[in-house]
Amino acid sequence: MGGQFSTRVITLIPVAIAINIVLGYTVQSVLKLPIYLDSIGTILVGVLAGPLAGALTGVLSNVIWQYAPGIGGGTIGPFAITAGVIGLLAGLWGRLGVYRSRPASGTQLLLAALVGAALVILVVLPIVNNQTYLDPSVGGFPDWAVPAAIGIAIIAAIVVAGFTYLRRDLAGLWVAGAGVITGLIAAAVSAPISAYVFGGVTGSGTDVIVAALRQGGADVLNASLGQGFFSDPIDKTITSFVVFIILASLSPRVVARFPNGSRLVTPEATA
Amino acid sequence: MALPAFIGRRPTGAYRRLNPATKLVIAFATAAIAFAVREWTGPVTMLAVVLVTAGIARLGRPIVKFALATIPLVISILLVNTFLFPGATDVLARVGPFTATGTGLAAALQATLRVVAFALSVAVFSLTTPTDDLLSDLERRGLGRRTIFIIGSAIGTIPRMLERAREITDSQRARGLDTEGSVWRRIRGVVPLAGPMISGALSEVEERSMALEARGFSASARRTTLRTLPDSQTQLVARWLILVATATLIVASLTGLVHLP
Repeated sequence: MGGQFSTRVITLIPVAIAINIVLGYTVQSVLKLPIYLDSIGTILVGVLAGPLAGALTGVLSNVIWQYAPGIGGGTIGPFAITAGVIGLLAGLWGRLGVYRSRPASGTQLLLAALVGAALVILVVLPIVNNQTYLDPSVGGFPDWAVPAAIGIAIIAAIVVAGFTYLRRDLAGLWVAGAGVITGLIAAAVSAPISAYVFGGVTGSGTDVIVAALRQGGADVLNASLGQGFFSDPIDKTITSFVVFIILASLSPRVVARFPNGSRLVTPEATA
Repeated sequence: MALPAFIGRRPTGAYRRLNPATKLVIAFATAAIAFAVREWTGPVTMLAVVLVTAGIARLGRPIVKFALATIPLVISILLVNTFLFPGATDVLARVGPFTATGTGLAAALQATLRVVAFALSVAVFSLTTPTDDLLSDLERRGLGRRTIFIIGSAIGTIPRMLERAREITDSQRARGLDTEGSVWRRIRGVVPLAGPMISGALSEVEERSMALEARGFSASARRTTLRTLPDSQTQLVARWLILVATATLIVASLTGLVHLP
């Protein structure tokens, strides 16, 4: 059986689902961090096998997580829709060759590192300058939030630029871009679910941000959206880099055997 | 070769004896109504249905455990909505800079009921239905063997991976990793923990796909079932009735044809 669902992909998907659930559970419930890290497996399958396989992994992860409680899956089920969209997007990035290594050097590399840093700042600026977050009469974060956001942005920019520069690989820039776009779309899909189903909160570390936005006067949907636009791009960028590092650590021979393998390894690596 | 123990296993009790598909339909219907029918009636009646089913299935103690697991979420819902409900003006009380409102409290309680009803309906289903029962029944109903393998294997892999995560944590601790310090120290601990876990799991993939292929996994012939779970005409009719009734109720409620308090 060819296509996106070869036997190799069929055996990869359960492992990816388990990685999603175990890692997501550890990060959200044990470490209580305001990010999720529950889509590493989804993005990995999407990139290696294609959009449909990625979407299936995402949807099943959340459904199984809900079905097997005892590891804190109380609210995750309805977000299966978001997870499916993330998998679809990852498949698209894989098809477009975003995760293929692009060795570079000299000015080109320096330029890419700078563009990567600029991209991060571009994403953060509208958030920081948004009236909803700043103006107390419209809505707003507490005082510490803006410096915190700027701090996180600067660190993220340095990480993206440093990653691209030190690995001598333009792919760092592409992966960061794909992660940010995935995050923004995921946030837009999640916010209505969170607002409609759970009254806007999910019982994890991200609720602090929702509460801060509500205190500033944002309505239920906008508070969830604001939280999502804050957490998701950061989360999905980290996840994308993790997946990129995993792919780089696998031998090209193994990667090339997956349906999308030819778009992930450079021709000379398999030769 | 002796047959595995579950072949001869017979569930007892009125609810547990139901076919897994019937239980799945009940769980799905309660969850869907609790979420989609707004205001009080939907969540309250569905929570009642779930509690009655749990009672019939004698799930007193385990269900309490699952109810307790929703507490962090419930606290979050209650606090954020009661004190920070946008646009609400009917003030109940003031605590420092925060104002509790009646509208907020009502919204919070409704969301709480919905979430608890949902979490418990899934819990009742998963506590009374062994995974192998559910999967073999779904396979008999024509769900593809690939999907069956993915679901079954994922559910089986999770406990093994949690076990593996513990082993890796212990061995990294033995090498001096600090897993109980400040947040920053714990974040730095993620890499030495997640790295071996992911690479170990991925290395199994190749081996397993070979093993599956060697056992004719991609053969196209229809497989026979070793064990058929009891099902009845009554249950078949009941399943369809529940599904149609749920869909009608949700559509009627969403379009405003029926307005429940």
